[in-house]
Amino acid sequence: MSAEKQIWVWADYRNYFHSRVTLQILARATELAKANDAVVCAVVFGDHVDEYVAEYIAHGAKKVYVTDDPFLKTYNVESYAFLLSALVRRFRPEILLVGATRFGQEIAPRVARQLNTGLTADCIDLDIDDQGRLVQTAPSFGGNLIAKIITPQARPQMATIRPGTFQELPHDDDASGEVIPVPLPGNMPAPRVRCLTSELKPVRARKIETADIVITGGRGMGSKGKFKKLFDLAELINAEVGATRPVVYAGWVSHESLVGQAGKHIRPKLLFSFGVSGAIQHTAALADARFIVAVNKNPNATMMKLADVALVADANQACSGIIRAVKERIRH
Amino acid sequence: MDFNPCMKHQLIRKTVKEFAENEIRHRAAEMDQGPGFPQDLLEKMKPLHYFGLQTPTHLGGAGLDTISYAIVVEEISRVSAALGLCITVHNSVGIYPILRFGTREQQRQFVPPMAAGESIGAFCLTEANAGSDAGGVETVARKTDHGFVLNGTKIFVTNGGICGTILVFAVSDTDPSQSSVFIVENHTPGFSVGEIEDLCGMRANPVASLFFEDCAIPADHCLGKVGQGLKIGLTALDTGRIGIAAQALGIAQAAFEESVAYAKSRQQFKQPISRFQTIQNYLADMAVQIDASRLLLYRAAALKDKGRPFSAEAAMAKLHCSTTARMVTNLAVQIHGGYGYSKEYDVERYFRDAKVTEIYEGTSEIQRMVIARDILTRPV
Amino acid sequence: MLHVIVCIKQVPMVSELPWDPKTGTLKRETAQGMMDPSARRALEAALQIKADPASGPVRITAVSMGPPMAEEVLYEARALGADQGVLLTDPCMAGADTCMTAMILGTFIRNHCPDTGLILCGAMSSDSETAQVGPQLAEDLDIPAIGYARRLELADGGIRVERHVDDFLEVMEMDLPGLVTMDHADESDRYTPRYVALGGVEKAFAAGGIQVMDGAALGLDKEFNALRSSPTKIMDVYSPVTQKEGRVLTGAVKKMVDTLFDDYGKIISSAMGKDLKTHDHDEDI
Repeated sequence: MSAEKQIWVWADYRNYFHSRVTLQILARATELAKANDAVVCAVVFGDHVDEYVAEYIAHGAKKVYVTDDPFLKTYNVESYAFLLSALVRRFRPEILLVGATRFGQEIAPRVARQLNTGLTADCIDLDIDDQGRLVQTAPSFGGNLIAKIITPQARPQMATIRPGTFQELPHDDDASGEVIPVPLPGNMPAPRVRCLTSELKPVRARKIETADIVITGGRGMGSKGKFKKLFDLAELINAEVGATRPVVYAGWVSHESLVGQAGKHIRPKLLFSFGVSGAIQHTAALADARFIVAVNKNPNATMMKLADVALVADANQACSGIIRAVKERIRH
Repeated sequence: MDFNPCMKHQLIRKTVKEFAENEIRHRAAEMDQGPGFPQDLLEKMKPLHYFGLQTPTHLGGAGLDTISYAIVVEEISRVSAALGLCITVHNSVGIYPILRFGTREQQRQFVPPMAAGESIGAFCLTEANAGSDAGGVETVARKTDHGFVLNGTKIFVTNGGICGTILVFAVSDTDPSQSSVFIVENHTPGFSVGEIEDLCGMRANPVASLFFEDCAIPADHCLGKVGQGLKIGLTALDTGRIGIAAQALGIAQAAFEESVAYAKSRQQFKQPISRFQTIQNYLADMAVQIDASRLLLYRAAALKDKGRPFSAEAAMAKLHCSTTARMVTNLAVQIHGGYGYSKEYDVERYFRDAKVTEIYEGTSEIQRMVIARDILTRPV
Repeated sequence: MLHVIVCIKQVPMVSELPWDPKTGTLKRETAQGMMDPSARRALEAALQIKADPASGPVRITAVSMGPPMAEEVLYEARALGADQGVLLTDPCMAGADTCMTAMILGTFIRNHCPDTGLILCGAMSSDSETAQVGPQLAEDLDIPAIGYARRLELADGGIRVERHVDDFLEVMEMDLPGLVTMDHADESDRYTPRYVALGGVEKAFAAGGIQVMDGAALGLDKEFNALRSSPTKIMDVYSPVTQKEGRVLTGAVKKMVDTLFDDYGKIISSAMGKDLKTHDHDEDI
């Protein structure tokens, strides 16, 4: 057990090229460690994970706890949670951070419950306050409410971090770190959940939740046939298409495209919104859109007030106009 | 006295609102191009008991109380008054008289398919020369060895174009003062549907004339007893009034909500028009009348549920709800200005739909008559 | 008989939230409640299991922890087809974080439903969106759990679950008792919740009240206080300002579109990852 304060980052490497959330958290942890006089550590479980260990050191980890064992070859939430809890009990880090991937959001709550400590989900910011406590900033209601949460007594202070929140540090080949191998404990319970198959299968090329450009359409598009025009534009500008509830229930597009409280939350760099009035169920899900272009015949529609640029026009005609403009302006 | 809805009524409202917002609202304007309702929509409504609101469960209905019934009609009418009309007429003057006056055999035969929505109900009293005055009815029923033969023409029949089970008010061929109500199925020879009316509002509802030409029906298709026609008609109308009141209330509520939203967002003179006192006065007047309407309606419905006389109270509710619907939709158009007169905005439809609530199921004048008669016959 | 417990949260209806546009705050306490959409999918899954003759006899208990008004979602659950509704409510439960919520639900299941076979939860509620209560409840009860189910079927005394997690399509299996959390809607839409039938509502209320249990009935410690016991504390809640001082374009469509690309072309092209010409059209105007 070390007297030094440690900030742990659980290493989620399974979908490494797709999700770089672990590297992003390491970067933020490095900042927090300065404020808190702590040491940034990564915790890696798996089978033959040397490469990942080196990668985490190059991205800011000063120490890496590694349990390298064939038993850990596939992600198993029960075994991983048991092991992570055991390591925390032994080494007592101040802070334990996990990427808010789906697996991360499965393992973190179980570890928190085993350790009887608090956990804040899907944080969009982390800070250290003047008492040295971790201030966890988490959104709710699709970003319409933000809560600042602390874990005053229980340790470690745990949070899952939304991917894409922080910038990873540049890869530093010269960085050095200490590797601490931890053998698999003898009392590992047999997993009760059996994984029959697990295949890498990305949902289409890109998902609407993570797309850089999203086009949403509402009833203002006019009809199912006219709504298809949005897909033409989407193909042209490499975007995903989302829809409001009335459009989905009218059967113009599948439920998969629903953007809203009961559907997908999006956070694009650029959002085109066509003929959307802006009911709160819908707008709650796009609070994180960075730049919004809205088209509506009614300049007073809520969606128009949320827009950076609002075009007072028929959604359909504007869509055609934009398609034409992109075709004219694109440089090949 | 508790003016808060109980949890059941609250849940009924949420349930219907969810369905109405998800399944009906976006199609209401298209339905208004009329006539007729999308079949897939009706199919969705059938298993949810919209066609058997107050029908007892053993006959395939939901077994709702009258307050729940009023809430359902209000919430459907809030998004589509024409569909609300279909529902309320089918349930109140289509099914209810059979439940109230029909023999057990008539209930067993006719009600389950109606409650399942497979056979839509209609009630026809109105004729070219008979509206508020039922004494002018010229459709005659001739008694035969096997039953009755109907001859006559009914006009302005709500659900006329889609009805399967029709209650027909007719007089005896030998004694015009003796009236009865007959159950006619739409496949009966001699029955036919005329042209769908081209109406100002409620355009989705296929309101039509119905023709009965030597339309022979069995003796057991006479509802209740021969000669009970007027009693059945008046009872049906009392019940129907609660439904129409609820429908009018739904229209008013919809127009009010749109007005509030519009007044908050519409900018004139660099501020939302809701900052202007005139608009505020309009909104306040609308709110007061809608609230008063709702209280009158629930009182009438509660009286009916308790088995107490509710005729005058239903007339008051119907009179006030329909007057309110006309007044509120009128102000809603006014608040919307030019946009309110355009089909781009729903208030235009509400405005057209509201007017008829002052006319059918007893005009406002008839309601006043019913109310006055009640006042003047009360013991002093 | 399979006893299925469905954990249901009542969440504020966002469309009904009274927002103050000036301060951007919302008064959550006056908002109407509704059944959390993802819990409703969990209930739908339970109802489908019950409807499948291959499942044998199935009993569904809907349980919710919340204020007294949360009773409504349990009536709704009964209206949809749950056999029983139980509300866990007590001032001492107020302010529970996910950890304490899981503990309270766990206490109920351990002490009062020893025959529980399957526990179904929504993966993530629409209000706090933590996705934590399900896994923590499984941990509390020390039973296996599978998250983010898109499809589930009973198989050989256990349950088989298909799920899509971080781009991995997985099929998993576990023995019962076990816990499954239901994912959001996917393309197949297998668990799109049914609408409530009106007769169901009438029946739900005619069948008598919802069983209400306070901390003592549940078997919680007399001194228990969820707010105090919750390891996390909320320091501050606020609404970020969303209304923008945007630019409004009016006039002919072509002109508006040209202005859009001329003045904001950089933003558009950087999001696209492609180069766009701007200001090439000035002479057209």
